Amino acid sequence: MTGSLTILQPGHSVVTDLGRTKGPAFGLPVNGALDQFSAKAANILAGNTDNEPLLEITALDFRMRATTDLLIAVTGAPLDLTVGGRDCPQWEPVSVRAGETVAVRGIRTGLRAYIAVHGSFTVPTLLDSCAPDTVVGFGLKLLEGTELATQKTTAPITQPHYGLPLFRLGLTKPDFSTHPVIDVTDGPDVAEFGNTADLLFTSQYTVSPRSNHIGLRLGGALPERQLTSEVLSRGVPVGAIEVPSREELLVLHRGRGVTAGYPVLAVVTSRSLDVLAQARPGHTITFRKTTVADATATHRAACLELDRLRSTIQTVFGLLGIGAGERWHELSPASGS
Amino acid sequence: MPATTIAAPAALEIHESGDAALRVVATSGNAEADWATVHSLAGWLATAGVDGVHGAVPTYDSVLVEFDPYVTSARQVRAFVLLAMRQLDFTGATVREPRRFEVPVVYGGSYGPDLDRVAAQQGLDAADVIARHTEKTYVIRCLGAPAGSPMMDGPDFPFPVPRLKDPRLSVPAGAVSVAGRQAVIAPATAPGGWCVIGQTPLTVLDATREPLVPYVPGDELRFYAIPEKDFEDLAGKFLEARP
Repeated sequence: MTGSLTILQPGHSVVTDLGRTKGPAFGLPVNGALDQFSAKAANILAGNTDNEPLLEITALDFRMRATTDLLIAVTGAPLDLTVGGRDCPQWEPVSVRAGETVAVRGIRTGLRAYIAVHGSFTVPTLLDSCAPDTVVGFGLKLLEGTELATQKTTAPITQPHYGLPLFRLGLTKPDFSTHPVIDVTDGPDVAEFGNTADLLFTSQYTVSPRSNHIGLRLGGALPERQLTSEVLSRGVPVGAIEVPSREELLVLHRGRGVTAGYPVLAVVTSRSLDVLAQARPGHTITFRKTTVADATATHRAACLELDRLRSTIQTVFGLLGIGAGERWHELSPASGS
Repeated sequence: MPATTIAAPAALEIHESGDAALRVVATSGNAEADWATVHSLAGWLATAGVDGVHGAVPTYDSVLVEFDPYVTSARQVRAFVLLAMRQLDFTGATVREPRRFEVPVVYGGSYGPDLDRVAAQQGLDAADVIARHTEKTYVIRCLGAPAGSPMMDGPDFPFPVPRLKDPRLSVPAGAVSVAGRQAVIAPATAPGGWCVIGQTPLTVLDATREPLVPYVPGDELRFYAIPEKDFEDLAGKFLEARP
């Protein structure tokens, strides 16, 4: 049975997924959830596959009303979550009864929160992704009164033993900090910066208010390119750190234009891109050098954590009789299908 | 990790670009050969459909290969790229017959606010700039930002065209621009620092259709001048390959 919900207060929210991975080959940025770990965790906790459409809420308060019974999960930055006026936990499945309002208030320490709904949403896609692309004008606009159809409705899960938490999922939540440490590997053009490249690791950087999903601008000591030759346009990875001006570092995030002509000083690791997605203007950042091998190991450890969560949730939901649908059995890309 | 160089036919360097991408650079020194190499490689990777490889972004002499570091790794993708190069050596690059696009442009005035500036900087009349811009058959070298822009080697001008000191916050879709030794059409409205010399009334990008833009790298494109009064008649028509 399908369900639905109505947006009451959109704040700054979008429906997104893990991104348009086919996009860059066509000149479109990958986009998608900026904090991929939190987005995947939300979908897993809601009994969805990792890449299904979910809500990304940036900074501002948000409210929606369930038209039918729903099962949701809220992850990302610390915040106050209420359902029908009751305080509810983040990073856990939460039942919402028809007519109840879900309110997200006071997003703090970090910047972005994710709400996944069991059964996800039916939304338009472009190159197999619903992620908004502001440049080509693609994406569902969420306004007061927008109704989102979900593919499932879920009867409330009740706790038979009063006073005990409903779920013990054993997930290690990410740390949120106003002074995050960001791991980077040497960029392909690090040599062009000569001795000044090391400034990146000896100074602190402050996140500028002009930061967004395209890139974060950071104030601080700036490495300088030692060459003046023109660079041919080429593909730049998400996470690329460039020095385009004498004022700020630019760290490209998932909305980045896929080609550019600036040398790449360093590249933020996949795991640290999630941390950067939560950095607010005014937060201070320290960079730490790592290797591709270590960065890959760290990323895989986080993925394994999510695999364990998925396995636990499948057991719990199986016992509760939720999510036995076809979509449920889709293999994740990591399971070697 | 040091760059790997393989010998003939195409010299190649592979650079780490974080934990989820590699930059592969063709270094034969012949621009045409390097371009063919990176585009053949990107095409091969796209059709091979390797687990964990998201795709490839080829430009002039380099290709960015993006992957999921959970499913695969920089090491594996690097090995795969080297294998792909050997495969290309054996089979040769399959060259697709280029399609031809013809693009009507209203030059100058509010359609091309930088036409006179470019003319002055090149020591040419505006009419000469238009003549040089329309007399060349361009090869679309790659799809760039924003939104699959067709990046082309520019018209036969005496000098490179400097970028604007203050980039515009908004350049309309259809803007026809030059910068350095390059030429481009803007598929979508976006900020831009290139010199806008004209505008085409045709729609280049349609977010409701796939493919989003009608051309691929290797296709050919020509511009022709139209009077301002024809702009409205053609507005909203799609850019399509000549039959």
